[in-house]
Amino acid sequence: MKIRNRFRVCVTHFALAGLSVVFMFPLLWLISTALKRLEETTMHPIVWIPKHPQWHNFADAFTYGSAQLGYIPFLVYARNTLLLCILVVAGTVVSNSLVAYSFARLKWPGRDLMFAVTLSTLMVPFPVLMVPMFALFRDLHWIGTYRPLWVPAWFGSAFSIFLLRQFFRTIPFELSEAAKLDGCSEWGIYSRIVLPLSKPALAVVALFSFMATWNDFLGPLIYLIDQKTFTLSLGLQFYQSQHGGTQWHLLMAATTIVVAPVILLFFFAQKQFIQGIALTGLKG
Amino acid sequence: MAKAGFTVPILAAVVLTAWWGTERITRTVYDPTRIHVTYWEKWTGFEFQGIEAVVNDFNKSQNRIHVDLLSISDVGNKTLLAVSGGVPPDVAGLWGPNVAQYADDAAIQPLEGYCNEFGVKASDYIPVYWDICNYNGHVYALPSTPASTALYYNRDLFQKAGLDPNKPPETLEELVAMGDRITKRRSDGRLDVAGFLPAEPGWWNWAWGCVFGGRLWDGKGKITANEPENVLGFQWVQDFAKRYGPEDVQVFQSGFGNYASPENAFLTSKVAMELHGVYMNYNIKMYRPGLNWAAAPFPYPKSRPDMKGWAIADEDVLVIPRGAKHPKEAFEFIRYVQSQKAMEKLCLLHRKNSPLSHISDDFWRRHEHPYIRLFDQLARSSKVILSPKMGIWPEYSEELNNAFEEIMLMRKTPQQALDYVTTRMQPKLDQYLERLRRRGEVK
Amino acid sequence: MKERRKGKIAGLLFACPWFVGLSLFMAYPVCASVYLSFCEYSVLKPPMWVGTENYRDLFHDELFWTTIKNTGLYAIVALPFGVLLGIFLAMMLNSKVRGLAFYRTIFFLPSLLPQVSLAVLWLWVFNGDDGVLNEFLRMLHITAPNWLSDPAWSKPALVLLSLWGVGNAVVIYLAGLQDVPVQLLEAAELDGASAWAKTRHVTLPMLSPVILFNVIMGIIGTLQVFTVPYIMFPGGSPARSTYFYTMYLFDNAFRYNKMGYAAAMGWIMFLAILVLTLFALKVSERHVYYGGEAK
Repeated sequence: MKIRNRFRVCVTHFALAGLSVVFMFPLLWLISTALKRLEETTMHPIVWIPKHPQWHNFADAFTYGSAQLGYIPFLVYARNTLLLCILVVAGTVVSNSLVAYSFARLKWPGRDLMFAVTLSTLMVPFPVLMVPMFALFRDLHWIGTYRPLWVPAWFGSAFSIFLLRQFFRTIPFELSEAAKLDGCSEWGIYSRIVLPLSKPALAVVALFSFMATWNDFLGPLIYLIDQKTFTLSLGLQFYQSQHGGTQWHLLMAATTIVVAPVILLFFFAQKQFIQGIALTGLKG
Repeated sequence: MAKAGFTVPILAAVVLTAWWGTERITRTVYDPTRIHVTYWEKWTGFEFQGIEAVVNDFNKSQNRIHVDLLSISDVGNKTLLAVSGGVPPDVAGLWGPNVAQYADDAAIQPLEGYCNEFGVKASDYIPVYWDICNYNGHVYALPSTPASTALYYNRDLFQKAGLDPNKPPETLEELVAMGDRITKRRSDGRLDVAGFLPAEPGWWNWAWGCVFGGRLWDGKGKITANEPENVLGFQWVQDFAKRYGPEDVQVFQSGFGNYASPENAFLTSKVAMELHGVYMNYNIKMYRPGLNWAAAPFPYPKSRPDMKGWAIADEDVLVIPRGAKHPKEAFEFIRYVQSQKAMEKLCLLHRKNSPLSHISDDFWRRHEHPYIRLFDQLARSSKVILSPKMGIWPEYSEELNNAFEEIMLMRKTPQQALDYVTTRMQPKLDQYLERLRRRGEVK
Repeated sequence: MKERRKGKIAGLLFACPWFVGLSLFMAYPVCASVYLSFCEYSVLKPPMWVGTENYRDLFHDELFWTTIKNTGLYAIVALPFGVLLGIFLAMMLNSKVRGLAFYRTIFFLPSLLPQVSLAVLWLWVFNGDDGVLNEFLRMLHITAPNWLSDPAWSKPALVLLSLWGVGNAVVIYLAGLQDVPVQLLEAAELDGASAWAKTRHVTLPMLSPVILFNVIMGIIGTLQVFTVPYIMFPGGSPARSTYFYTMYLFDNAFRYNKMGYAAAMGWIMFLAILVLTLFALKVSERHVYYGGEAK
């Protein structure tokens, strides 16, 4: 038995190590390119470890285009993306927890039907909504601002409602009953009992919505006009010029900078993250 | 519990700050002292610096109007989106081929009223460059920088192959023959150097039929992609795939670097002859100054001596989008760019030829391009080729690009590929015209 | 009585944001989009009713069918492989191996990368002449295909790319695996079940709701594939092999200004997703096991 276990652990180790090498290849290439000079990036046979690592590429990536524009695009794009993420994450957590609480723990006519409708909206592809929403925002004079990107987040989203509703139902109803007997209002139960117990699930919702906003490309592509307002996902295109002549090394350096904090965040928070998803119980 | 009492206000404060920040970033500032004209241009790098110099001159020359120049990637789509979104710039720097589509879409304003007011007329320009800006009886744009195309060839590779570098090919047949002598393969059979490759740079794939005298439509309502001259042109293209082998071409091409890089196929002497625009000279100087090259009119088909001296003409144009806040001031700026002084300054900085009919001696003297007179001459030739002025040109050129690829991959014969394009595009054109007629915008 | 009433009001109040959101950002656009699909609309001019013309044109539009074929082929391969790889990885990451945190981060990394960089990165990996992948294949003496310019290999390239991004699903599977009751596994082991048998008869059935969830999200996701091919293969080259449905929809809406046409395309896509999802749910009734939990 023990030998079988040992063997299994060995095989798993081996497989994991092998697969992670495969997975890491492109990322190693990313970092390697970030440290090259522009000419080196297109040489072949491939140079894996540049002879003279150009550490200054990272600084250059930061300031690229500043001569042209008069400000440091990278920092500006990062700041814009961060502000937008704050608004979206806050809106997502607040609105969806309220709504999910209603679906999970309050009884009202048409509730289950409404939940089924909510789930079905998951199937509506964005392209169906794209054009009318664009026209709607245009009539509101919101094109060119960030509002189309964060205001909808404050009005709920099917996916987060689903996740949180599942989770809220796992909290024993007796707690609510007891609180009600003590004269607690629904709001009180929500804010003082259910929410504090839901931190992992809320963290999951927050993280998912953060990542979605951080990487969102199509939304900013359609709604943002002024270059100064761009987000990182759009702004990275700045390293590509019209007729080619992409600054590969700077693009990769910028990417590394962009990705590093998110990687660290995930690395340290993974346990809570996975636990959170587990507790939402994606069954039923 | 006391700690919880602080978290909510702090979080709320963070959110409110973020909101304030996003509003601040996207607000438009009002300057009561001058009228601000927003100008979106496609250029980056040295070309951007060129237009920036002209804009600065304009801003310094008077104090009523201030032009705010922005470098915008994908300016064509972004402008369309901005007009749709109700927030267009006052001036946009598009391309000649955009004019028809944007005019039909009512995305840009006719300018002839302003032209009359400010004294801008056709005779100021080399005919083709004025022509590009006109559509459907209106002036919809004015030139910023023009371009024409010619044959660029590598003199060293000519010499190595035993050809006289002072005698570039005159007919397409000669080009092919010379190309064959220059083409070399590696020991493993893969292409090392190619004499000529139609797909490099691949910016004018649609034009090869026109070189043989073909037209892409009759100017009224008929798609003529599959007329005999066009088939001949694409047959000539496919002969290259046959000659080299389609897979070989693919592999060879995938190793090419980008246009504006030292790894460009022409710059690395991988391709000896190219059809390219006047601006190629700058790339050569930037990335491979030691290259021994020359330019000449692009060869014509032996069967069509009347096509001698052909060139493709294109240009960057300035338009005023519909809904622009300050159209008259926008035109004042555009008018400035059209002046002899400003236009020549811009074209010198861009290393391109000038669209104006009159060229100052100063321009010739100061121009970096050793063959600039050739490109100017070619632009004035009667055999100049333009992209068709059609609202559906984006779709049509995609279809032609696709046909070009199919032909180079030898998946279809030119006749098949062009027939396919015709059968696809004719109903689209019919429907497009029908819709314009229905809305009363008679074509 | 009053309690029930209060509860109902509270319920409706709490759910308020969603009611607004649903009507403004879902119901309205959906209805408008239905109307627009029967119109000729280019945003700068008012919509003009044309009846079923858009749908009829789509039916005759060869490019439309090409994009359906491309998207379908891509989805049929990417989805099952993605599910299999995801489960496989999750199960391995669920064992007691050293350095789990490190491995998990590595597999999850790709989904954290911005799309532009990802696309550009893989343009280099897949480069026919000197890309990483082909150098590797050549080392193994396998003929390296021309991923980016050969129409036969461009979709497989995108499938590989999508597999690289499987980390998202892995995390969800991992979470689901936490819920597999340890007692059941131990009981099975006491009964002498092999690893494979345990997987087949305990783990997978307990995981099946999560798998169903990922399959449905996967259907919805792969059918809408847009950003990466949009950046890597503009125009769907080579030879339209990677021209996917959403790309054609986007081009119609924002490049050719045919928004009515694009709206019609959107609706057809919605119907397809609806049908496929219902099909998946029907099929799942027999295979998905919902562990006891009071509804």
